[in-house]
Amino acid sequence: MVIGQIATSTDFLVAGGGPGGYVAALRAAQLGRNVTLVDRDGLNGVGGVCLRVGCIPSKGLIEAAELAYRSATDGAAYGLKTKYDGIDMAAFQVWKSQLVGGLTDGIRGLLDKAGVRVVEGNLSLSRPDEAVISMPDGQAQFLKFRDLVLATGSRPIDLPGFEVNGDDILDSTGALCLEQLPESLAIIGGGYIGLEIGIALAKLGSTVTIVEALEGILPTMDRRTAKPVEQRLGELGVVLHAKSKAIAFEEGKLTIETTDGTKQIAANKVIVAIGRKPNSDDLGLDLARVSTDNYGLLPVAADRRITDHIAAIGDITPGPALAHKASAEAIVAAEALCGAKVAFQPAAIPAVVFSDPEVASAGLSTAEADAKGIKTTTANFPLNASGRAKTLNAATGFLQIVAAADSQIVLGVHIVGPHASDLIGEGVLAIEMGATLEDLALSIHPHPTLSEQYLEAAHVGIGQPIHLALLGKK
Amino acid sequence: MSNYQFNLPDIGEGLGEGEIVRWLIEPGGAVTADQAMVEVETDKALVEIPAPVTGTLKTMGGIVGDVIAVGTLLAVIETDSEAISAGRPEPTAELVKTTPSPAAASPQSDRVLAAPATRKYAVELGLDLTAIQGSGPHGRITREDVEQAAGGDSASPEAPAPNAEAATPPKEIQPATPRAAPSGRVDEVVTLRGLRKTIAENMTASLQVPTIIDWHHCDATELIAARDSLKEEFATQGVKLTYLPFFIKACVLALQKVPSMNAVLDMDKGEIIYRKHFNIGIATATESGLIVPVIHDADLKSIFDLAIEINELAELSRSRKVPRDRLTEGTFTITNFGSYGSRMGTPIIRPPEVAIGGFGSIHDEVIPIKGEPAVRPILPVCAATDHRLNDGEHLWTFIRTVTDLLEKPTRILGYA
Repeated sequence: MVIGQIATSTDFLVAGGGPGGYVAALRAAQLGRNVTLVDRDGLNGVGGVCLRVGCIPSKGLIEAAELAYRSATDGAAYGLKTKYDGIDMAAFQVWKSQLVGGLTDGIRGLLDKAGVRVVEGNLSLSRPDEAVISMPDGQAQFLKFRDLVLATGSRPIDLPGFEVNGDDILDSTGALCLEQLPESLAIIGGGYIGLEIGIALAKLGSTVTIVEALEGILPTMDRRTAKPVEQRLGELGVVLHAKSKAIAFEEGKLTIETTDGTKQIAANKVIVAIGRKPNSDDLGLDLARVSTDNYGLLPVAADRRITDHIAAIGDITPGPALAHKASAEAIVAAEALCGAKVAFQPAAIPAVVFSDPEVASAGLSTAEADAKGIKTTTANFPLNASGRAKTLNAATGFLQIVAAADSQIVLGVHIVGPHASDLIGEGVLAIEMGATLEDLALSIHPHPTLSEQYLEAAHVGIGQPIHLALLGKK
Repeated sequence: MSNYQFNLPDIGEGLGEGEIVRWLIEPGGAVTADQAMVEVETDKALVEIPAPVTGTLKTMGGIVGDVIAVGTLLAVIETDSEAISAGRPEPTAELVKTTPSPAAASPQSDRVLAAPATRKYAVELGLDLTAIQGSGPHGRITREDVEQAAGGDSASPEAPAPNAEAATPPKEIQPATPRAAPSGRVDEVVTLRGLRKTIAENMTASLQVPTIIDWHHCDATELIAARDSLKEEFATQGVKLTYLPFFIKACVLALQKVPSMNAVLDMDKGEIIYRKHFNIGIATATESGLIVPVIHDADLKSIFDLAIEINELAELSRSRKVPRDRLTEGTFTITNFGSYGSRMGTPIIRPPEVAIGGFGSIHDEVIPIKGEPAVRPILPVCAATDHRLNDGEHLWTFIRTVTDLLEKPTRILGYA
C-alpha cells in the first residue's frame, strides 16, 4: 500500500467486465456518465466468463463436435461419403482464441468509443462511497465514486477432494482449453455445464461418464424435458451415474458411490461442474451496510439497487445465473443510478442448454403453474411431425406451450430439439406480450422451418390441429 | 339501493385541487348527510368535507396524500333512497370504471397482463399496474390505460394516485446531476404541494416587486404601560391582550395617512387602486407553513375587538381551519417576528398588496436621553413597500407615523 489512501474520484464505477458489467458501463456512458470499469483481468477480462471461457468457447466446441459427429453418423443417411478422423484440439484452440479475441476486441472497441476507462484489479469497498482497487503490482488505489454497479459474477464451486489442478482435475474453463482430447473423462455434475461439455467431448471421441448426485441430469429442469437428453446420452455412449457421489480420484481411477455400491471408473481427466457460486465474499459489503443471503446473493430492489448509490446485477443477485439476465439487469441498474424510475420486471427469463438435443425453456412449467394455483392447458407438438426436422434427420423432441386454462394466454414454452435455443425467443416474446394460443395460431410461420412447431402446437391448443389427425378428434 | 357519486366540490373560489389528509369514515362505514367525512387540505386551509347524503361509504376517491382535482371523484356513497340518487344518478357502467377490480386484470396468471414497454412505462410513472384495470382482451393493460390512470381518470382507492410529476410523460433520462449526499444517506423527495406550494408560488411572485425596506425603532415605555393597564381588565373577560392590536391600530392609522401604502398597482391596466377597506393580514405560523388570516375592516374595530379576533384566528390557524373568506381580501400585512425574539427582519410583500410592516421584539437598549445614557425598552419597526408606487418618502412617512403612535399610544385614541 505504497500509494497511500489518497482517493481519486470517479463518477460511475463498474466492478466486473462480464456481460453484466460491460453493458452497465456502456449504458451509463450513453447517459453521459464518466465511467470507470474495474476487472480483475483488466482489458483482458472484458467479456467475462461468458464470452472468454464460458458460453462462447463452449458453443464453439459443441459446434465442432456436432459437425464431427454428424459427418460420421448422419452423413451416411444423406449418402455422404464422410467420416470423422479425430480432432486436432490444438488447432481448435487457435480457432477458439481468434473467435474469442475478435469478440472481446469488439467490446473493447465499444468501451473505448464510449470513453469507458478500464482498470485492472480487484475491487472492494473501503467506505460506502469509496472503493479500493488491489492492483496486480500489489499497490492499492482508492477510488471515490458517485455510483457503483457490482457485477462480479460467479466462479465454479470447489468440491473437496477434487481440487482443480489444471492437470487431470479441471473446471469448465480448463475443460474448454484442452490441447488434447482425453481418451476418457468423468464429469462430476449433471447440470447444463457438465452436460454440454460431456456431450461435446463424447461426440469428439472421448469415453464420457457423468456422475450426478440427484435423480438425473438437468435437475433444475422438468423431468419431461430432461428425458430425451438422457436417452440421447445412451445413444452417444455416455454413461450416467445418477444418485451417485464422487469419492476419490487417483491415478486415472475415479471412485464413486452409487446406489449399487462403490464403483471405479477409468478417467484420464475429471471435470468438476457442480455449480457456480457468487463472487460476493470479498466486496467489503459490510461497509455499505449490506449483507448477502445464505447463498451469497445480494438483496436487490426492483431497480437492482442495494443502497442509494450502489446496484448489484448478474450472478451475485437472486435468479438464474445467466448472461442475458445480467445484461438486462445492467441496463436497469445503470438507468436507476442515473435517476430514472425503472424496474427489472421480466415475465420470463429463458434458459437454454446446448445439449443434444438442445433444451430451452421460458416461463412457467405446468408444475410451477400448479404450485401457484394457476389452471393451465398444455399444447404439444412432437418434433417427428415436423418436415424441417425430418430434413435435419432429427426426430427426438417436442415443443410444449403452457397456457392459462380459460384465457389461453401463453404462460410458458418448453422446447426439446434442434435449435431449441434459437426458437425460444419467440416463446419469450409471446409470454412478454401476453399472446394467446390463437395469436400464435394466426401468426403465419415460414415453411419449412422448425418455428412452425409454434403454429402447430397452438393449433393443437385451440383444438384445431392440422398436422396431427388423431388429436383432432378429442 | 343506489350509488351516489360525490365529486370534490369547489370549496372556495379559484380552488383547483385538494389533498386528502384524513378519512374520517372507514370504508364501508355509515355516514349521515352533513357528517364530516374527509379532511382535505387546499392551498389555503384544511377543510372538513361533509357527506352529501346518508348511506354507506363504498369507494374512496383517493388515499391519504392523494391530490384530487375539483370535480373528480371523491367518494361513492351507497344510499338507501332511490329519490336522492335520482338527483345525481351514478351510471353503473361508469361506477365499474371508477372502481376497477385488480383481480380482473390477471385472473389466470400470477402476472399483470401488459407488454414489457407498458410495464416499464408504469414504473416510470410510479403506477402500480395491479391497481389498473386493463381495457384490452383478458384485461390486458394498454399504454393508454396507463396514461389514463396517470391522468387521474380512473382514480380508485387501490390505485396510488399519481403525483404531479407523474401526470406528465417522463422525459428522456438525463445524466444524473452531481449529488452531494454520500451513499447510504437517502435524500427524501417530497412533491411540492398544498400550503407549501402556495407559499412557494407567492414568494416567487413577490420577486416581481421592486422593494424598498426601512428600519426604525421606538421607545416602547408607554406602549408597555398601556398594554399592562388594559391586560388585566381584558383578562377578566377571558381575552388575552398582546401588543398586536396596538400594532394593527397604528398601521391602519398610518395607512390612512399614506393611502398609496394600502393600494394595488395594476400594471396591465395602468391603474392604481386605492383600497378603502383596511383589511390587515397577520402572518401566522402553522405546522404546515405560514398562513395569513385577515382581520377585515380593522379601522372599525377597537383594541378589544381586535384582541378577540386575533385570539380566534390564532386558534383557527393552529387547526388549519380558517375559513377561506378570512384568508383573502387583505390590503396590508403585518409580520410580528418579534414574537420569536427576532429584532429585525426583511418582510416580503404579498402581491397584490404593496406594503408590509414588521415588528421586532421589545428589548432593553441604552439610548441617549437628553445627552445622558438611559436604558429603555426598544421596539424595532420596519416596513417594506413596492417602489413602483411608493418612494422613500412615503415609506418614511408611514413608518414614522407608526412609531410616533406607538411611542405615545394615547394618540391612537385620538384618531381611532
